[in-house]
Amino acid sequence: MPRSTGTTATPATVTPRPGVLVGSTSEFSLFFHVKPGHEEAVRETIATLQNSPGYRPGDYDLPIATIHEARFVLFDGDTRLLFATSFDGPWDAYMEDFASKPLQLFDAIFRHVEGYDGLPDVAAVRDFVLRAQVTATGYGRNYGGTVKEIRKALRVNNAFQRVLDDPAALTALQQPAMQPLLDEAAD
Amino acid sequence: MRPPTDVTAATSICLELDDIQSGALLERPAPYVGTYLLFRVDDQHAGRELVRRLHPLVASCRTSSEPARDALVTLTFTYQGLKALGVPRESLDSFAPEFRQGMAARAGELGDVGESSPVNWERPFGTPEVHIAMAILARDVARLERVLERELRAHQNLPGVDLIWRQDCYQLPTGRTSFGFKDGIAQPAVEGSGIPGTNPKERPLKPGEFILGYPDETGSLPPVPTPEVLGRNGTYVVFRKLHTRVAAYRHYLRAKAASREEETLLGAKMVGRWQSGAPLALSPERDDPELGADPGRNNDFLYGDDLRGFKCPAGSHARRTNPRDALDHEMSVDVRLHRLIRRGTSYGPPLPEDILEDDGVDRGIIFVFAGAHLKRQFEFVKTQWVNDGIFIGAPAEKDALVGPNDGSGMFTIPQRPIRRRLQSLPPFVVTRGGEYCFAPGLRALRWLAELQP
Repeated sequence: MPRSTGTTATPATVTPRPGVLVGSTSEFSLFFHVKPGHEEAVRETIATLQNSPGYRPGDYDLPIATIHEARFVLFDGDTRLLFATSFDGPWDAYMEDFASKPLQLFDAIFRHVEGYDGLPDVAAVRDFVLRAQVTATGYGRNYGGTVKEIRKALRVNNAFQRVLDDPAALTALQQPAMQPLLDEAAD
Repeated sequence: MRPPTDVTAATSICLELDDIQSGALLERPAPYVGTYLLFRVDDQHAGRELVRRLHPLVASCRTSSEPARDALVTLTFTYQGLKALGVPRESLDSFAPEFRQGMAARAGELGDVGESSPVNWERPFGTPEVHIAMAILARDVARLERVLERELRAHQNLPGVDLIWRQDCYQLPTGRTSFGFKDGIAQPAVEGSGIPGTNPKERPLKPGEFILGYPDETGSLPPVPTPEVLGRNGTYVVFRKLHTRVAAYRHYLRAKAASREEETLLGAKMVGRWQSGAPLALSPERDDPELGADPGRNNDFLYGDDLRGFKCPAGSHARRTNPRDALDHEMSVDVRLHRLIRRGTSYGPPLPEDILEDDGVDRGIIFVFAGAHLKRQFEFVKTQWVNDGIFIGAPAEKDALVGPNDGSGMFTIPQRPIRRRLQSLPPFVVTRGGEYCFAPGLRALRWLAELQP
């Protein structure tokens, strides 16, 4: 069988992504225009969301488990709305998933912004998101890790503090294997 | 947001099974022998003549007549191939962007780097010379030979079309992959196909997830290549030759395990199933060959009762590539948008049992995917779930078995009282080449054969 000589393969390229990625997390900001006359309604809807389980201060349990935080900011006399978050992973890979899950959670809010009419199909979702999305000019983070890792880290530290409160901790932590934990035990 | 409303319309949609290539929806024969062929078309008239001659070999999902039933023949085209056949520019531009770029151009994105990089691929992969890709899978050698003979006659006396690559494949005597595992177990059910699914706990998927021209899980009609006669009832096909480093894999497990039992367990934890195919989710402690062999039970499970992965690690191969209900509570991903139909086979002889040194023989897997969405199905699963661990909260971990590990890979096995963590994972799979292809419907094949540019 003839073996082709071949030409050089096309060089590998990586498509540039929207949103700045720091470690595992990408910033995601959407800027909307509030529908005229809906200023009060959108403010009320956001207040309702704020008071729902998971969003109440101290709940730390947003229904979307892969975002570090979420903020809705009304500005320019309530004529504009900013939604800003930090998403674990490259959010553009999840564009179709947004329509099916996360965007539904914000339906009550987004129905007060322009360009939203229930997002009947994927093209509409893509259009809605990409028209509103602006990539940050600067973005920094003070900790690495995904939401899952941070939650685990908090659980582990809570457990560690409980260990330290036990009078038997000193003896236990003096095992050679415990040295890294002993180093963290003094303050 | 309201759920998409036009989904209900899909229930009345009838899949045109008599126009869809059998390879798209039908299971491969078992056991199987087969051949993959790649052609280069230098003369478009000859190329179209080849399509005309090969057309009768291709069966639809409904064909029951011999010789089409002798073998599952799938005829596909790369973007360069459609161009070489004289498909008009407007039509070429209507195909998915990833398909138009081709797999080699997507290598950086897909993690095909280093040894797996297109510069190291087997020729003619990654060159613009691969135009037509054909797969023939038969139940036995005699049937395969019959079809091959007809294929050879088809491209005889056709200067301007060259067979440029051939790869034989056959099911190993064990019925398992070169790594020793029963494979191809979990296939999604497709609404309207009449083909039963493998997981009774998974609702059949909308036909538009796999066949172009029908509504998909989002309730939309996915973009269909034009003209409609070319795009409708077609499907995108991903074809990859993956070399498996079986000796390195065995060596690694041997070095990490204190006993043969532990070796088997570590192997199963990496895969998510025991070698027999029995899922860890149903048989976490030991292999259960009866369960593995029972198609009624071996895919009938979810992960909802094991979110921490004590039975089946979240990072295991099977759970990464098909997380079932494991991510549902996170509200960020809809797993039904990332399901794959796989038609993979094995190539090369098995490495004899207990051999831990590389014998230099090429063996591995021909990975074949069929679906309507290259990007959100194959590419999503490869980039987000296999090559990355962000989605399970372990960004440093890739798929331990098939991920592009570089010697610093990690794999966490949850277990009480202390989790086990495998370190310094080398790559066990190397990409030897691949192409993004399009498998048109039968009417579309005729359209291609009769094209008059």
